[in-house]
Amino acid sequence: MPVRASRWRWNRAGWERLALVLLWLGHGTWVLLGTNPGRHWTRAAGLLSRPSQGLATRWEAWRSSRREAGRTLTTLRAENERLAAELGQLKLAEAKEAPRRVDADAAVHLLGLKQQIPLELKAARVIFTTRPATFGGLILDRGQDLGLVPDQGVLAPEGIVGRLWSVGPTQAKVLPVDAPNASVGVMLMRSRATGVLQGLGSGQAQIRYVSNQEVVQVGEAVLTSGLDRVFPRGLLVGYVAAVVKGELELRVTVNLSAPLDRLGLVLVLPTQPPLEVQPPFVAPDEKPQRKKGTP
Amino acid sequence: MRLPAPSTTRQQLLCAATLGLIFLSAPFPWVQAILHTTLVLALAPRPGKPLPAALWAVAAGWVVEGTLRLYPHMGGTAWADLTLTLLAGGLASRWPLEDLRTWLGRLALLSLLHILLLHGAVRLAAGPHPWGWSWLGVLLSLPLWGWATWRLLHGAQPGRR
Repeated sequence: MPVRASRWRWNRAGWERLALVLLWLGHGTWVLLGTNPGRHWTRAAGLLSRPSQGLATRWEAWRSSRREAGRTLTTLRAENERLAAELGQLKLAEAKEAPRRVDADAAVHLLGLKQQIPLELKAARVIFTTRPATFGGLILDRGQDLGLVPDQGVLAPEGIVGRLWSVGPTQAKVLPVDAPNASVGVMLMRSRATGVLQGLGSGQAQIRYVSNQEVVQVGEAVLTSGLDRVFPRGLLVGYVAAVVKGELELRVTVNLSAPLDRLGLVLVLPTQPPLEVQPPFVAPDEKPQRKKGTP
Repeated sequence: MRLPAPSTTRQQLLCAATLGLIFLSAPFPWVQAILHTTLVLALAPRPGKPLPAALWAVAAGWVVEGTLRLYPHMGGTAWADLTLTLLAGGLASRWPLEDLRTWLGRLALLSLLHILLLHGAVRLAAGPHPWGWSWLGVLLSLPLWGWATWRLLHGAQPGRR
């Protein structure tokens, strides 16, 4: 089958037809573009650049978040340093205030003890201790200037401490209860058996002259008996640590309750205190009387 | 009976003269509208010669819009003129003229189409715009300019009204 030649040729009529088509299409396109034809190009450019703009926006957001994170990290580090400095200052201040707080706590305890014992008690501060030495004791910061004399009992809130051994013009020496040459009249709380407490050192003491027939339990409280006329009856001395039966008497070992190695403030009892001391009577609050006719 | 086409020189001279009158009649919109429609629908179309007719129509459209100086984006009139001129030329090629009555009827139809397309194209190109009453003048004066163009193109030949 022979191939037919195309009828379209670039003759004069063809060129005229092409010119006509271009003329019509050009004018139509120009009309359809309308006013401000550049807006179409702007819109097309915006449409085409949308992916790259999205990428650029995300990239900028990521960079800004990183910058912000870095700024936050710097701020946090500075704040951390500032807080660490403040913490150090607070610890230093607390360390400075700690002794005063201990003294305040001890003073509060002493105040409570003073209110429980209706005697004229005098407060003194332990300024030195010679307990590790032989026949050692505690040194108080008050002496004759406070009217102290030897053989006055010394108390702490946890229990009895000892008695005044010697009194100087401005200082006094305390013979602690656990000294070998110290003796205090005591009684056991449950059995009411009485004896004499003699020191063993290191916060311990032994009760002598308790009958072999008495029943003493470990952990039983030991109180002052008042018979020595240094301490009134009923002050806490310590607790029974061990009981050993002897041939004639019980050997009762007592753990002293007063912390003799770390005393700060103590109270000094008056000389020759009464045997029995009653706690002060506090009258209860009176109820308001109800008037007749009132609900 | 098929009428012979007018001479090319005569038609081109008539088109050139009308285009000059369109330019000069800018202060009188009704007259300009009638001359514009006359050139686009009656004088420019020629069977078998679409390119010169299209160029005259485009020129008429740009001259009208250029002298009006109203539209923010020109070109709508030229495009409508171009389209209608090509349509008129196509009609003349397909259905050759036989008498004045056919000529007037065809002109009336083309005038209506020209008015509508012109309005739409200018609206597309330049947006909403005030639409005067010149189109009514064109339609009312159609017998006058239709008869005049018939006489100018085909002359006073025996047997033609």
